[in-house]
Amino acid sequence: MSGKEFFVSRYEELGWKYEDVEQKQAIRINSVNARKADVAKRLESLWIELEKIPFLEDGYWIRKSEFSVGATSEYLLGLYSIQEAAAQIPVTLFTGLKDKIVLDACAAPGGKTVQLADLMQNTGVIIALDVKKRRLIALSNQLERCRVRNAIVYHMDARQASQLKIKFDRILLDVPCSGNFVTDKDWFNKRTIKDVKKNAKLQREILTEAAKVLKDDGEIVYATCSLEPEEDELNIDWAVKNLNLQVEKISCYGEKASTNIFGKQLDNSVENCRRIWPRQTQGFFACKLKKRACTQ
Amino acid sequence: MRQINDFVSRLGARINLDKNLVVKKQNRYFLLNKNLKRLISKDFFYAGVYLGKTKSGRFFPSFNLLRMIAEEKSNKIIVDGKTEWLFICGRDLFKQGIINVRGSKGKGDHTLILNRHGECLGFGKILCSPDREKEGVVVKNISDIGDFLRREK
Repeated sequence: MSGKEFFVSRYEELGWKYEDVEQKQAIRINSVNARKADVAKRLESLWIELEKIPFLEDGYWIRKSEFSVGATSEYLLGLYSIQEAAAQIPVTLFTGLKDKIVLDACAAPGGKTVQLADLMQNTGVIIALDVKKRRLIALSNQLERCRVRNAIVYHMDARQASQLKIKFDRILLDVPCSGNFVTDKDWFNKRTIKDVKKNAKLQREILTEAAKVLKDDGEIVYATCSLEPEEDELNIDWAVKNLNLQVEKISCYGEKASTNIFGKQLDNSVENCRRIWPRQTQGFFACKLKKRACTQ
Repeated sequence: MRQINDFVSRLGARINLDKNLVVKKQNRYFLLNKNLKRLISKDFFYAGVYLGKTKSGRFFPSFNLLRMIAEEKSNKIIVDGKTEWLFICGRDLFKQGIINVRGSKGKGDHTLILNRHGECLGFGKILCSPDREKEGVVVKNISDIGDFLRREK
């Protein structure tokens, strides 16, 4: 069970007609390091044409650039980060990040860690984990470049987060996933449903650990760049039924998630998740979870 | 700590780092704050503000540390836009691109290199006084922020 025909027919069953989508490069201005208007003006003086992303506070699409936006002084000085538009959404779903203790459970290469620090204005603490040591170097470089001051990085599997003996106010689960065809032109040739199920299993294990280390009034934001419901709606339905979590209403770009996946009826609250089909952005899925209040 | 202070003084500056908040991990130094110090455990990989590393007895500053020094009274050379670009590509500084000099102009001293916006691009070693009417290299590039790109290769 693989190949373009197989996956595309699944998307159609979920209500989306396949279309080729060109990935648009986007940046996010690190507002703690610079004023948006100043950075935009400086980039425009370098003949880099920007277009404000309507559904993001700090995001801009690159409409035109004569050279790489990853090689300007402004980039190297940490005034902005290169971050795809949909990938900028999950961190914005948290409420009240200032002074919080935040876990970024699968942090490398660090785009969202930097975004967290930016929204936290370098207050509180971010604990950033990644299981691959090689990727920690890229993460550390991002933190240095973007002047992040409130993060501690560990070489650790997210499934072992309870070893830290910390309870977190906010947890970002930007979990390892199967990805999507927009960011990988060879995606349909590489992926099988077996890969998807393997990733879904890993994601459930990470969700389970996150629920253990979340404070009672804490928030988890779960996100994937996978379009496969096993990694998205079905995992969240499982988390609602097995981890005493509930799905919070969110307001962001994207469509309400479906509560009927291939004939299986899911918990109604799963519709609070957002599914982002590729169009202006890559494919994405995001939701916010909280612990269910105890009833006496 | 001594190596950090020695490096800072070569740039004609003084900064007060709380030694209780500076931690060393192998050959790398990090500056924590109280919140980080409370939560950190010894097996961390990176934390707080990376200050730099020692290698073969020599101290290599981070760009965070250079930025901290740039906020203080220190040796600084401000350069124009074209020179900024050449400097972050690893080139040495010529006199023509220099807009302003603050602090030491003495041969052999270290100086920070800043752009027109006052942002620190790196540092170098003064080869000859920028006041002297002479063609050629004035500051030898030791480290610049283009290193973030070179590291990835």
